[in-house]
Amino acid sequence: MADSQREPVTLTIDGRSVTVPAGTNLIEAARTLGIEIPHFCYHRNLSIAGNCRMCLVDIEKVPKNQIACSTSVAPGMVVRTRSEKAVKARQGVMEFLLINHPLDCPICDQAGECVLQDFSYHYGTGGSRFEGEKVHNEKNVDIGPHIVFDGERCIKCTRCIRFCDEVTHTHELALFSRGDHTIIGTFPGSRLDNDYSGCTVDLCPVGALTLKEFRFRQRVWFLENTPSVCAGCGRGCNVDLAINENRIWRMTPRENDAVNRSWMCDEGRLSFLRYQQTERLGRARAEATGAGGAREIPPEPAWEMAAATLGEIARKHGGGTIAGITSGHATLEEQAALSELIARAGGSRIALPVHERGEDDALLIRKDKTANAAGARLAGGANCSMEELLSAVRTGQVRALVVLREDPLADFGEEAKVARGALDFLLTLDWRVTPTVNASDLALPVSAYGEMDGSIVNFEGRLQLLRPGLRPYQESDPAWRPLLEIASRLGGSAVPKSFREAFRWTASRVPLFAGIDTPAVGKLGLQLDSTSSPRGEA
Amino acid sequence: MNPSEETRKRIDAAIKEYPRPRSALLAVLHLIQAERGYVAKEDQEWVAQRMQLPSAEVAGVVSFYTMFRTAPPGRHHLQVCRTLSCQLRGCRELLQHIRAKLGIAEGGVTPDGRFSLVTVECLGSCGTAPMMQVNDDYHENLTRDGLDALLDSMK
Amino acid sequence: MSHDAYSPLLLKNIHRADSATLAAYRESGGYRALERALKEMSPEQVLEEVKASGLRGRGGAGFPTGMKWSFMPKGEGEKYLVLNADESEPGTFKDRLLMERDPHLVLEGFLIGCYAVGCRHGYIYIRGEFVHAHRVLLKAVEDARAAGLAGKNILGSGFDCEITLYRGAGAYICGEETALLESLEGKRGMPRLKPPFPAQVGLYGKPTSVNNVETVANVPLIVEMGSSWYASIGRPKNTGPKLYCVSGHVRRPGVYEFPLGVPLKELVFEHAGGMLRKDRPLKAVVPGGSSVPILPAEKCDVLMDFDSLAAAGTMLGSAGVIVMDDSVCMVDALLNLARFYAHESCGQCTPCREGCGWYVQILDRLERGEGKSSDLDLLLDLSDRIQGNTICPLGDAVAMPVRSYVNVFRDEFQHHVTQKRCLAKPATASR
Repeated sequence: MADSQREPVTLTIDGRSVTVPAGTNLIEAARTLGIEIPHFCYHRNLSIAGNCRMCLVDIEKVPKNQIACSTSVAPGMVVRTRSEKAVKARQGVMEFLLINHPLDCPICDQAGECVLQDFSYHYGTGGSRFEGEKVHNEKNVDIGPHIVFDGERCIKCTRCIRFCDEVTHTHELALFSRGDHTIIGTFPGSRLDNDYSGCTVDLCPVGALTLKEFRFRQRVWFLENTPSVCAGCGRGCNVDLAINENRIWRMTPRENDAVNRSWMCDEGRLSFLRYQQTERLGRARAEATGAGGAREIPPEPAWEMAAATLGEIARKHGGGTIAGITSGHATLEEQAALSELIARAGGSRIALPVHERGEDDALLIRKDKTANAAGARLAGGANCSMEELLSAVRTGQVRALVVLREDPLADFGEEAKVARGALDFLLTLDWRVTPTVNASDLALPVSAYGEMDGSIVNFEGRLQLLRPGLRPYQESDPAWRPLLEIASRLGGSAVPKSFREAFRWTASRVPLFAGIDTPAVGKLGLQLDSTSSPRGEA
Repeated sequence: MNPSEETRKRIDAAIKEYPRPRSALLAVLHLIQAERGYVAKEDQEWVAQRMQLPSAEVAGVVSFYTMFRTAPPGRHHLQVCRTLSCQLRGCRELLQHIRAKLGIAEGGVTPDGRFSLVTVECLGSCGTAPMMQVNDDYHENLTRDGLDALLDSMK
Repeated sequence: MSHDAYSPLLLKNIHRADSATLAAYRESGGYRALERALKEMSPEQVLEEVKASGLRGRGGAGFPTGMKWSFMPKGEGEKYLVLNADESEPGTFKDRLLMERDPHLVLEGFLIGCYAVGCRHGYIYIRGEFVHAHRVLLKAVEDARAAGLAGKNILGSGFDCEITLYRGAGAYICGEETALLESLEGKRGMPRLKPPFPAQVGLYGKPTSVNNVETVANVPLIVEMGSSWYASIGRPKNTGPKLYCVSGHVRRPGVYEFPLGVPLKELVFEHAGGMLRKDRPLKAVVPGGSSVPILPAEKCDVLMDFDSLAAAGTMLGSAGVIVMDDSVCMVDALLNLARFYAHESCGQCTPCREGCGWYVQILDRLERGEGKSSDLDLLLDLSDRIQGNTICPLGDAVAMPVRSYVNVFRDEFQHHVTQKRCLAKPATASR
């Protein structure tokens, strides 16, 4: 039932009155007042376990402390999170949790973002009366392809187990043994190996589960998070890019119930590593006619050259011989800009290559490995298949081609090579050095993931924003700028000066985006009018 | 090695006995242990497959309950109660006597595989303390002499 | 007033060699109550009789059985009655006796209970180690079914009730009703959060009532003899016969049946034969199983019923009476129990999982003469941090004895610190 359909309930928490929908638990109710009820095992997208006991609160007329996570609001309920009874219980829980914890914060990756550490600071007593021998457990266990487990740091909150049971339904993890020897693990010889295993690291409130690809790389307090969107598939999971010294060190899911709840897949999570291993195109490159070998040229001469060449081909062979390859990897602004350039040159054909792999799964993963294929149809004017386009090139109907963030020579093999031979002019915009870039008459550098603002539309028709956290590489730009610079030289309008202007310009061209501005999209995106959702089209 | 035909039949019957097949897990593990003496890792995998349960779940259950063993016990598995009423009536001395007589400590198995020894928590036989369970049977009101006779009779 | 003349009601059959057989049970009037309930009474009437009898649960908490049953939803829906035969509270051994020696009494009471709450499939969760009791009960169920006393159309009444036995596998915590239900569903026996209570969401998510073996063994008496007769036994609000388990330093340990409210000292010194060794006087008694506060000898002039023991600061619990003479070191005794709870904590929730092991470490160093004065208050403080803050009552069950042993025998604990040895005079080898 939607929140709005549930009866409102008014209660008092720490002396302040609050009204929330019936069925809300006390942790969430307190949150709306800005009151933190500390907890380890509770997670709003997992079932309630109630085992950590950290969220014990004092409720008037109830003799025992109650756990806030599994207590629903009731009319007139009076909750005290800071009464002596509640505070004493919480201090007790903190002290208990730490007696068998190794307290190895100096070498723990979680330090700085460890809930145990934070709550110990805020709710502990600052000391321990424990003087005995700690229970020893397995450490540094290679539990899965991406995950390392430390049994001594673990506080048995079971979030990771519940995730594998309830979200991925893969059931790799379980509790073993009992008492203070209780430990989390896999069946002997089995691995924590599912498409979302990295989420267990996010869920782990302590440093018991760590990501191999992040362990010992950075202290988290040096990282700054940029809220963005994963570009690994058509879902567009909301993410934080953790950046230090102009480098992404990790990607973690950012909560958005409309898109990815609290999760993301491992492939998306690690996608930035692939980007980092890719050879970049940093400056415009022009092929010296007949001489072989490219030379680097500054941006403006490159734009001039592109405009002049396209203009000449249009005059000689007709504007219809100028075509584009747009991309689901490009932003809406870039797709719109390519469409504008092709139109300015008198062309119409725009192809959208398909990048599908595997199958859609039941959780997040989409077989469409591009983030904005929907945008290419909405704003990018995609109107033909790659096969149709390549055949038009071979038969001479297309003589100049503008390729945006695609690599047809790699993806379409021999067919594309033949087509390349038939072209008078190949202009490519990419952030990588690809076979297509190398075979281009002119290649222009564009921004890579994490370097630019941009808007994208996911497979469900949700408009979302990519945000920059990295400095642009050399002379790269969002592709809308060079594309519109060239278009303006062919008689197009003025080039937008900022992303926001580019977005408005794009929005003005797409009826579905009428009246939308970037602030309205915000961090969580905006669902476009569902009646015209692009799902199922094309 | 899979369970015998007979045990498999009994397992099938046990699973049918409950409205939710999962309920039969403890019964199935008991059946396997009755045949084998313990529940090996391979048995746990077999059970997981037979009952369509995640193997981690099965292993988690096996590790929770003290009666399930994952290594072979002796032919006579001595389970000496160590809880309060038995302690008041001399279980420590008895245990010491067993250790010395058999030359094994708790958790051990005699080299000939005749005896294994563990201590257990209260077996609900406090009125006849001290006591121990040997395999399925309770031996109560134990004395040193009675214990000697009992152990000697177990071949 | 002594109870020498009391003739047992619950244990009346057990002295016959063939007491476990259906024939013997029927000969002594067995299953008349079931017949009466099924043929002459509606389920509501049975429930009302049990309510009026004042019967309180014999498993430990003493909750009124009729009221517990009345929490079950009325009507036809799937619901369960589960018999808690997972007797494992240290010092308690009455349910095993009933099951081994008079299984049909247990079964009859259970069937009447099923009828009262409208359960058509009852489960008996029996402690895994009770192999013999399991066999006896299994045979009893088979014989009862063959005789038309269980299964379809019981005694021609139209009431169907299947009985399934379920063996545990070694876990004290499964005596806690929600852990028992988890175990019965084939899972680790980890207690559930309450609410929801089993009467709303129990076995397989259906309304469920869980009752102790001795509790249901009282039900045939109530149905056959009537609630007012039953309520005349014992004391106000503490009605009916009770099985007391006496163990430890007495001459005749065993299970004794008397009305609720028998004086503790009468039980120990008359019926159980008094202290085991003439030169060893009474030091303390645990009156209700290991989980309840201990009574020092000077506080043992108390009646053995729910309310009298509560007034004395302890509990009737499971009526597991553990008698200790002056050879017992209280630090050593408490260490024994702390080890028990640490071993049996399911490990699910923080205070119990971590606290039990901590208790053991503190008590162990006190016992070895390596403790500190502050350890005594630490033990008490840990009890405050655990009690009331855990998922299930196991936390309370360890916190209560720790608090009481330390408070009652503080001098002895202190002696361990200052003198690094024990005040108690160890017994010479007793056998």
